[in-house]
Amino acid sequence: MSAPRSRVIPLGAGRPTVEVLDAGEGAPLFFLHGAGGVPAWDGALPLLAREYHVYAPLLPGFGRSTGLEHLEDQLDLVLHCFDVMEALDLQRPYVLGESMGGWMAAEMAALRPRDIGRLALAAPVGLWRDEAPVADMFGMMPHELVPYLFHDQSCLAAQGLQAVTTLFSEKDDRTQEQVEFLISLVRGFRTAAKFLFPIPENGLEKRLPRIKAPTLVVWGTEDRFVQPLYARIFGEKIPGARVHMIENAGHLVGLERPAPYAEAVARFGRGG
Amino acid sequence: MKFSWFHLMPYRWLPPDFRERYHSVWVDIPNRLYDPVKGHQLYNEYLDMLEYADQMGFDAVGVNEHHQNGYGMMPSPNLMAAALARRCPNASLLVLGNSIALYNPPVRVAEEFAMLDVISGGRLIAGFPVGTSMDINYCYGQNPATVRDKYREAHDLIIKAWAEREPFAWNGKYTKLRYVNLWPQPIQKPHPPIWIPGLGSLETWDFCAEHGYNYSYLSFSGYKRAQKMMDGYWERLAARGLEQNPYAGAFFQQVCISDTDASCEREWWPHVDYFFNKCLHLYPGTSSAPGYVSEASMRAGIVAQVGNTSLNMGQNKSWKELIEQRYIVAGSPATVRQQLEELARSLRVGHLALGCHIGSSPIELTNRSTYLFATQVMPHLRPIWSEYEDHWSPKPLPAEQRAVPGAQAEAARRAAERPAAA
Repeated sequence: MSAPRSRVIPLGAGRPTVEVLDAGEGAPLFFLHGAGGVPAWDGALPLLAREYHVYAPLLPGFGRSTGLEHLEDQLDLVLHCFDVMEALDLQRPYVLGESMGGWMAAEMAALRPRDIGRLALAAPVGLWRDEAPVADMFGMMPHELVPYLFHDQSCLAAQGLQAVTTLFSEKDDRTQEQVEFLISLVRGFRTAAKFLFPIPENGLEKRLPRIKAPTLVVWGTEDRFVQPLYARIFGEKIPGARVHMIENAGHLVGLERPAPYAEAVARFGRGG
Repeated sequence: MKFSWFHLMPYRWLPPDFRERYHSVWVDIPNRLYDPVKGHQLYNEYLDMLEYADQMGFDAVGVNEHHQNGYGMMPSPNLMAAALARRCPNASLLVLGNSIALYNPPVRVAEEFAMLDVISGGRLIAGFPVGTSMDINYCYGQNPATVRDKYREAHDLIIKAWAEREPFAWNGKYTKLRYVNLWPQPIQKPHPPIWIPGLGSLETWDFCAEHGYNYSYLSFSGYKRAQKMMDGYWERLAARGLEQNPYAGAFFQQVCISDTDASCEREWWPHVDYFFNKCLHLYPGTSSAPGYVSEASMRAGIVAQVGNTSLNMGQNKSWKELIEQRYIVAGSPATVRQQLEELARSLRVGHLALGCHIGSSPIELTNRSTYLFATQVMPHLRPIWSEYEDHWSPKPLPAEQRAVPGAQAEAARRAAERPAAA
């Protein structure tokens, strides 16, 4: 799989500076990542880039993007996503968001319903039911978090992430490079925490009926992080939304089951 | 030197298999383990210990704030300080402290601290911790990405509320108030001495240096492991051209004293074991929310390297190891004298906060330790740093202006209960 292009776009004084990854040709697909960022161009992204020109901006705190201090609240964050979209000159694009990015994509489509052409939400956070609490990603050890993200713990993506968690131990034997890597992980989680701590719910449910874009809700049937009952709620509250469940997939459906997931997103983009 | 007698107020009846059966002593410790009837006895026994410390000549009695915590039963230290204010007529009230970013609006802290200062005749030391991540993020839901900014704003508001003599408007990012107008005002001017407890953040050194506050390092891992932390603070003061006055620093050390080193181990080990191996049974997944520690502090790794999950606080050690590595200072009065002098000189601290109660220790044992400290250790250490002036202790009202609790009670009773006038 080919590496994406990367560029850094300053949005101007008092605004963040954004690293944008992009790859592929075709209609634009504006991709909003989850709380783990885009550590590698793998999973569904290269598959989607066969059909779309995928733009993946990184939030401040991820990669080379900076300026989290300019985004003080949820409104700032959502407007920032529009700023990036406009800086890339994307008109009414197809927006795909995963987990935290799915929540942001839904907020964008509810805030400016006419500016989003099409919407796909992959296991978004943003709703809350007491009987199915969203897992507390900020209150567990990294090695405990991984099983919440995948259905098949032996899949390559799960194993890769589990390997990273071995950097957490009772010893002080990390190299300077490993220390910097851990600091970069915390930096991304800090961004997620700024908008999602302690409960990832801030009134999205009442805004969902404002969404006008044709919407696809994609969910792994075995998602333990944001349980599949939320797929039904998103499907009911967003007018005309279609719900597509992916069998044998956990929360990071784009990493665990990239082919059927990318196919569902692409087919929906073709109007199918 | 000055000495404060500092209580954590642990719950005494965590079950023997607590570590095996429960996730953590903090945040999600099931409250079915708490028996309020036993709690009633315990609070009163603990306040009795603090009152004895006042009688024995400690400079301050100390309390602190924790939430959802099996070793710290003081969600509101101000209530404890209020209970002590009238029963401890001599000592300063060291409230270390109120996590000011938690209170909405933060003027509540300015008000309660002013009340304590007025009730006690100007004996309050006001502590402003950021608070542990367990307390402020996981228990009280503060956002780790913004809580330090919120803390600084709360601090500025409280200081201004204590200083201003006219109502003012406060248009902050986190607090907006049209009328800030503090009643009552503290006795101490411009405000009670301020101490900032720190855990491992570089920012706290600078905050203390910038404002001239006392930096209090509260650690359970003893003075040997505190060297880097206190050295860092003194270097920050020196870099700003400020005096390295030992009274600008405080250190918390757990201490137990008995007649001999051998009797100390026999009497204290069960209670020390209870503390280190039950009370410090902590889950590392809720030890630090992302953003709670700054990148600079993570990079400096003063307490431990980033990614270290051990929490490094002396669990699973024997009595001998805890002593040799100085997690605790324990033994006969002579042993304790020698080690605390080493502590004071190596860390350069003028204020020593003593954990004379440890874990499950009962009042008889605790007060014996307090007594031996007051009579056989304190006088020996007292002259250390006498060449420096202590600017960080309260300046109470002179005795002739101080109310004596209950002094007029008998005369007032007689007047109130007099026969009706004909």
